[in-house]
Amino acid sequence: MFKMILKLAWNNAFLRLSRTLLVIIMIAVSMSMMLSIQGIYDGMTLNMVNSALRSDSGEISIYNKNYRLDKQIVNDIQNAGEICADLENNPSVKAVSVRYSVEGLSATARKASFSNIIGIDLEEEEKFGAFSKFLKEGEISFEKRGALLGAELAKTLKVRIGSKLIFSTQDKSGDINSIALKVRGIIQTNNLVIDQRALYIERKQLYEFLGVDTNTATQIAIRTDDDALINTIKKEYSEQEVKSFLELNPLLKQMEDMMVIFNSITFTIVMLVVFIGILGVMYVSILDRIREFGIMRGIGMAYNHLRTQIFLEALFVGLAGYSVGAILGFFALYYLQETGLNLSTYAEGMASFGMPTIIYAHQEFSYYSNTFYAIVLSSLLSVLLPLRKIKHLHPIDVIKADT
Amino acid sequence: MKKVFIFLLLIHQISFANEAEDIIKKLDNNMRGVSVYMQIEMRITSLGHTRVMKMQSWSEGTKKSFVKVIYPPRDKGITFLSLDSQMWQYIPKIERTIKIPPSMMLQNWMGSDITNDDVVKQSSIVEDYAPRILKKEGKIVTLELIPKEDAAVVWGKIISRIDTNTYTSQKDIFFDEDGKEVRHFIYKKVKKFSKYYLPTYWRVQAIDKKTSFTEMLLEDVEYDKAISAQYFKKSALKRFSR
Amino acid sequence: MFKLALKNILFYKSRSITTFILTFISTLLFIVYVAMMDGSHESMLKNALKVYTGAIEVYKKEYRDIGGNEYLINDVKSIEEKLSHIEGIKTYTSRYETYGLLSSKEISSAAMVTGINPDKEAQMSQLKHTLIKGEYLKHDSGNCLYVGADLVKKLGVDIGGEITFVGSASDNSFAADIFKLCGVFKTGSFEFDAMAAFVTRTYFDTLMYSENKASYISIALNNLDEVDSINAHIASKMDTDIESLTWKTLMKPMVEAMEVDSVFGYISMSLFYVVIFFVIMIFGFINVSSRVREFGTLRCIGLSQGKIRTLLFYEMFILSTAAILLAMPLGGAIAYYFSLNPIVIEGMSEMYKDYGIISDEMPFAFNLLTISWNVATIYVLNFLSIIYPVSYINSFKPIEATHHV
Repeated sequence: MFKMILKLAWNNAFLRLSRTLLVIIMIAVSMSMMLSIQGIYDGMTLNMVNSALRSDSGEISIYNKNYRLDKQIVNDIQNAGEICADLENNPSVKAVSVRYSVEGLSATARKASFSNIIGIDLEEEEKFGAFSKFLKEGEISFEKRGALLGAELAKTLKVRIGSKLIFSTQDKSGDINSIALKVRGIIQTNNLVIDQRALYIERKQLYEFLGVDTNTATQIAIRTDDDALINTIKKEYSEQEVKSFLELNPLLKQMEDMMVIFNSITFTIVMLVVFIGILGVMYVSILDRIREFGIMRGIGMAYNHLRTQIFLEALFVGLAGYSVGAILGFFALYYLQETGLNLSTYAEGMASFGMPTIIYAHQEFSYYSNTFYAIVLSSLLSVLLPLRKIKHLHPIDVIKADT
Repeated sequence: MKKVFIFLLLIHQISFANEAEDIIKKLDNNMRGVSVYMQIEMRITSLGHTRVMKMQSWSEGTKKSFVKVIYPPRDKGITFLSLDSQMWQYIPKIERTIKIPPSMMLQNWMGSDITNDDVVKQSSIVEDYAPRILKKEGKIVTLELIPKEDAAVVWGKIISRIDTNTYTSQKDIFFDEDGKEVRHFIYKKVKKFSKYYLPTYWRVQAIDKKTSFTEMLLEDVEYDKAISAQYFKKSALKRFSR
Repeated sequence: MFKLALKNILFYKSRSITTFILTFISTLLFIVYVAMMDGSHESMLKNALKVYTGAIEVYKKEYRDIGGNEYLINDVKSIEEKLSHIEGIKTYTSRYETYGLLSSKEISSAAMVTGINPDKEAQMSQLKHTLIKGEYLKHDSGNCLYVGADLVKKLGVDIGGEITFVGSASDNSFAADIFKLCGVFKTGSFEFDAMAAFVTRTYFDTLMYSENKASYISIALNNLDEVDSINAHIASKMDTDIESLTWKTLMKPMVEAMEVDSVFGYISMSLFYVVIFFVIMIFGFINVSSRVREFGTLRCIGLSQGKIRTLLFYEMFILSTAAILLAMPLGGAIAYYFSLNPIVIEGMSEMYKDYGIISDEMPFAFNLLTISWNVATIYVLNFLSIIYPVSYINSFKPIEATHHV
């Protein structure tokens, strides 16, 4: 019996081909557009979050209690080495990065600008956040007093690869000390604080320059996938200041939340309209065939079977639309993931908000699964109304009905 | 034959290099002595008008220096003390001493074309540069000073025209890394003070600012006279202000 | 033909209603959404401007690039005199900005100290409203200093405490004085709160020899939309060494950010419209395909293809116009209402302080021109959507059509 119903449904669904095709196209186009938009918005937020995570704080950052208020050498973490060793033994910790940073003046023969010098270990940073991916120009190397500059800082100082740069600051003994550096690479993280002010050099070299102990740091950043880790770390190192990524970047969290709300609203609206579309088509198609249904009822077909047939019809159309939409959407997202959306005409505006000029989309299985459920639901719900019409009609009346 | 030729060439180079270093050392010595006292008149000209300031300066070596402003009357009594790399200022009008933070020290001094850094880091010319003789015109030697590998100086190179009669510079041109001129110092009116020679007229000019420059006239210069240690204490700021 | 169209519409009630509703909702939504988007941009802009930047600012040329006392405006009075005769200017005020050192007993910090006209400033910027402690400045406040919260924290001073100022006057000579902390402000912008301090000009001018001088003159307008024309007017009245810039140049990143936001807004809207377009097309198609016999009959009795087209066109026209006539005033009313009584989202200003949003309100922008082009778009979409159905119908041969199931 079921097989017959299936066959009936299938044939009927594609009976009026052009009509059905229209619905399929509608579902497919709206779905793929929606997927693309969602992909781009998510990509945008993720990108920003990622940049901050990788280039700066990681999921968790440890600072000296007074450091964030007054960023001086006196407010560094004294036992960085021990903390680091402990962390590395912790299975939840994916990567650790130890950094030493002070504020000072970067100068060339013509220009000077306030900046932060940050002593890092390249291998650590690479493991921490794929540091080399931030490279915009030149190479990642600290050879021969090499330094890496944030893109905006490089622009302000008007330096190029190979330019000489003098950095001056107060060292541990309070004297003003200067060091000559050569620009080896320029990096772009889209994290404004870094791009506008950061000057990276070999950590060992910075320790020497400042005259501070190699067991110290101004920031210890941690990457982890474990959400509970932050509490353990806070307890363990209660004499330091331990902050989570969200605590340090409340704005990004809000952006994420906004995106979720936004995407849900778009999703709902689109699904609603798809619902209306399928409803319309199914309604008319059922009304058209009311005589047919009357005859079938007349020859003894149970209402339930009829209902199943109609559900199946709606489902076929919906699923056909979904399949085409999923394929289109997949290709669109793939393209946007690889090539991205180029917004370089709005470069300055994007940069001021810390957003990259090329946005890469994000793809998630949930996009496809959510849409699947929604379309299945829409399809099934959309025939409820027309079904009511059939239910209450007497077969004889129906047969007599005028089209 | 070839060997001898190369050997002679080498000796020639070395002696030349030595000569250059010698010249620089003597030049530096002239500037510094062991201790110097002088009265300076600073004339800062920009956009047509000129501002005049007169100061008295006591300095010992490169790390200690005390300056007192004596003109204009409005600013009279303002004192500066620089010890090692730290700097303080006392302003009689408000009777306060303030410490000048490192960041401000690296910026231009009172609107002139000289930075605090210049004032504090003058010694670097001997330590940070490798001199080379470019040409000799009688007693006038033109030296090219290239910063040493790790020297923390912003200049790409400096070219100095030096009068070896007096071991004073006539003109210093500062270049950036790309070889473009950024500023020059002109020195005139060399006078002799005990065994030292010093130009008593200096003029600093940035190449891209044609209408502004700074002139310094040095008067009452005294070298190696014992300067009381009192001048290089923080108490000096207020004490010698009057 | 028109009457026939009308009859048809009334006959196929449910389909007509659905099409009507679709057009109605989409028009309404479009108008309201765009009003909200424009409104939020406008308010972002107004708020950002209110904080400190003027709608138009007048500078001596080169001041913005090179800066320094050489490029100060030297005849504020004559410029202000010219400005007072220009229409559309709400108010203006001059500011004298200088970098100097502010010190408390323990700490020194570089800061930007600005001489302002407190009364004029209160009319133009948020300075007065961002007061969190102590008092705002008055014209005769003397050596009172109004300082940003983060700077106050760094210096570790309390209200009534002493802050020493050292800097250079407008002629590059030494300037030094002792100020008193009278008020603390917090705008939420870290840059501002950690670097800025304000004094009344009547006092500061004596110290800095800056009477009749200014770093720039900030101008507020009655109507932000007139900014370009007023700016051109100002420029024509000024000397050649003076330039007049609008916020569009002064706040370029914000302008671009708003443009990006608009682009995204329109992209999202267009998704919605693609869907509506298809739905209307489907309905039109359904409508038409179930009336094939009917049209066949019409064709048989002599109606030409062209006339059929006209008929269907009229049907769409009547429905669209009816829907739009209802939606437009409604949408307009909603936009107008919310433009006067903005939606308040508690806490929004806390969240978006860094983006220059300092109020909890979300106003709508009511603009007839915008609404008109919104409506026109919907019209066009509606008409485009029946092209396919119409061509489908006309592809049938009359007899064939009458035999259609």
